[in-house]
Amino acid sequence: MQRRSAVKNLAMALGGLASLPAWASGWTPDSIGHFSSLSLDEEALLGEIVGTIIPETTTPGAKSLKVHQFAMRMIRDCLGEPAQLLLTQGLTQADSLAQQTYTKVFTDCDAPQRMDVLSKMAISTDPTGKPFVDMIKKLTIQGYMNSEYYLVNVEKFTMAPGFYHGCVPVPKLAADGSR
Amino acid sequence: MSFLNIDSVKDRTFDAIVIGSGISGGWAAKELTGKGLRTLVLERGRDVKHITDYPTTMMQPWEFQHLGQLTKEMREANPIASRCYAFREDATHFFIKDNEHPYVQEKPFDWIRGYQVGGKSLMWARGTQRWSDFDFEGPARDGFAVDWPIRYADLAPWYSYVEKFAGISGNKDGIATLPDGEFLPPHEQSCVEKHFTDEMARHYNGTRPIIIGRCAHLTKPQPIHYQQGRAQCQNRSLCQRGCPYGGYFSSNSSTLPWAAKTGKMTLRPDSVVHSIIFDDRKNKATGVRVIDAHTKEMKEYYARIIFVNAACLNSNLVLLNSKSNRFPTGLGNDNGLLGKYVAFHNFRTTISAEHEGFQDTTTEGIRPNSSYIPRFRNVYKQETDFLRGYAAGFGSSRMTSVDTSAMGENLKSSLMQPKYGNWRVSSHMMGETIPKESNYVTLDSSLTDAWGIPQLKISVAYDDNDEKMIRDFHEQMSEMLTVAGFKNIETHDKPDKAPGLDIHEMGGVRMGKDPKTSMLNKWNQLHTCKNVFVTDGACMTSTSTQNPSLTFMAITARAADHAVKEMRKGLL
Repeated sequence: MQRRSAVKNLAMALGGLASLPAWASGWTPDSIGHFSSLSLDEEALLGEIVGTIIPETTTPGAKSLKVHQFAMRMIRDCLGEPAQLLLTQGLTQADSLAQQTYTKVFTDCDAPQRMDVLSKMAISTDPTGKPFVDMIKKLTIQGYMNSEYYLVNVEKFTMAPGFYHGCVPVPKLAADGSR
Repeated sequence: MSFLNIDSVKDRTFDAIVIGSGISGGWAAKELTGKGLRTLVLERGRDVKHITDYPTTMMQPWEFQHLGQLTKEMREANPIASRCYAFREDATHFFIKDNEHPYVQEKPFDWIRGYQVGGKSLMWARGTQRWSDFDFEGPARDGFAVDWPIRYADLAPWYSYVEKFAGISGNKDGIATLPDGEFLPPHEQSCVEKHFTDEMARHYNGTRPIIIGRCAHLTKPQPIHYQQGRAQCQNRSLCQRGCPYGGYFSSNSSTLPWAAKTGKMTLRPDSVVHSIIFDDRKNKATGVRVIDAHTKEMKEYYARIIFVNAACLNSNLVLLNSKSNRFPTGLGNDNGLLGKYVAFHNFRTTISAEHEGFQDTTTEGIRPNSSYIPRFRNVYKQETDFLRGYAAGFGSSRMTSVDTSAMGENLKSSLMQPKYGNWRVSSHMMGETIPKESNYVTLDSSLTDAWGIPQLKISVAYDDNDEKMIRDFHEQMSEMLTVAGFKNIETHDKPDKAPGLDIHEMGGVRMGKDPKTSMLNKWNQLHTCKNVFVTDGACMTSTSTQNPSLTFMAITARAADHAVKEMRKGLL
């Protein structure tokens, strides 16, 4: 909301900008819309996988931030056919590995079991397991770190008004090298 | 038969016609209308109204489907445009698509274009350094191209004039190669950039100054900027989307609305200029042939003076295609030089390094600018085995990284705690290239575009001088970074990066003193067709090491002033 009030204040100050078009304040994260390149079951499975990589805790995890939808979109639109094939093969493998190990599908496994399945895939030498986990993990991290939740709450991102300070002390939290 | 009047010759007659609405065309429009001339501004692309037509400008980063990345389809359909750093998900709508506007690459050349009202002034990188007499006297001193017909003193008042209106931030640095201007407050250098500045001053006795870049941002708007409806730059650094605050200079936010306010401007988007009409009897240009971008219908518009501001290579194209009995090979082309001596800026290489100091400091916020290394090579005397020199951008940031080795809650908690790494700096070279007859554009004899206009054939390449300059940049910058205590110095040359991506193409219709060796006189008039003025990059005799846009603006304002004076004297 901050950016909207910033725009409004500016508009009032200037007069000339008072007639910002409706779209200037009309965006919501949901305006991207939802699509799926997978069946409902596969999509749910992918949701559980990204949720295993970055789980819900006291803060939202990748699944509730809909990072799996971002991952599907990136695979379909930016990465292309081989990645799409790897996605569906990897999902099948996750389920069959869960069946072999725990005699139930991935989504029925508990959290440690799910982590175990993904870890096994990540060190497997077949052409699907590791490339699949690497791809989904990378997209999960990318989607999570670029989500509204992360950018606003962790990065303290505000679009405007902006500023630049060329030389400030690193935040106090960084005493151990982190912030 | 009243309908005849609707499109009568009278209705298609103006005092002046400006071809192109980008950074120089916008200035031509503003100056000519400001002096009372009824002016037609022709733009081949669609209309883009300030604010209203910037559809992505207020989008948050997470609102982009692909977080700014291009889709595979977009990338594959546009291999040329995709190589441009600004052709990203948030701004593809301001770039032409490869298949719609074909051209012939006799040698590889990535021609980046923005066909819309405002042209590339919407997406430019906004560096605005004045040129100096080291640039205007360069060809005469070093013996290449031809002597410029003007000197810095001719342009200085016009630099001031356009700087005050456009709003240029910068510091008065007192550097001979980079004259000071009318500046708004400068952006800040980071502590590592300041460190580099200080170390260079110490080690090279002030001969290699490093400054904050001068750029077209309203760091502190003045009344003239508020009158344009512009406001302070918000440091979003999302300029390529169009700025709703008018925080940076564009034709859309500044010169065009100013011209419109006079009531003298007729802006006609979707108007592809075919050629300039030359009247053999009157021995001057009388107008412009325009093809409607959608209906493909051809119409003629008439005026006493014509400003050609189609952006360098398209200005060449329009003139080459303006054939008449008097000028069978293109308007004003008695000497056969039209389209030749095209040059550009060599942006092929970069260098990066790290600093292990300054661990307790970082930057905060965003700066739509970087530091700048003015030309220091071959300035007062020839020091190297190549001609001319290079400037460079210089930026810095504190690196952060996250540990992504784990999965689950451990991964999540490390994502919440990015670690600070070293300071990282990088610099990109901006080298002056030498205008040569062998670097030229011409019209293809058989291929045409969708409007029946011959395709432009581009034959422009690096030469040995450029290769030597790249090596020198690597050597000198490595030395400079080493002196200042930087580590992990890495050079990154891309020998297969074609010219063009610098988007600083210049020449083809060069200025000069002698009609035998140049196309334009010192007022940017075609020597042999005085009522046609060329004031965009096409007019440049040599390319300097500085960003050229500010010089296009100043030259345009100066030429427009001269044009109107000559008109009033009855000479045009």
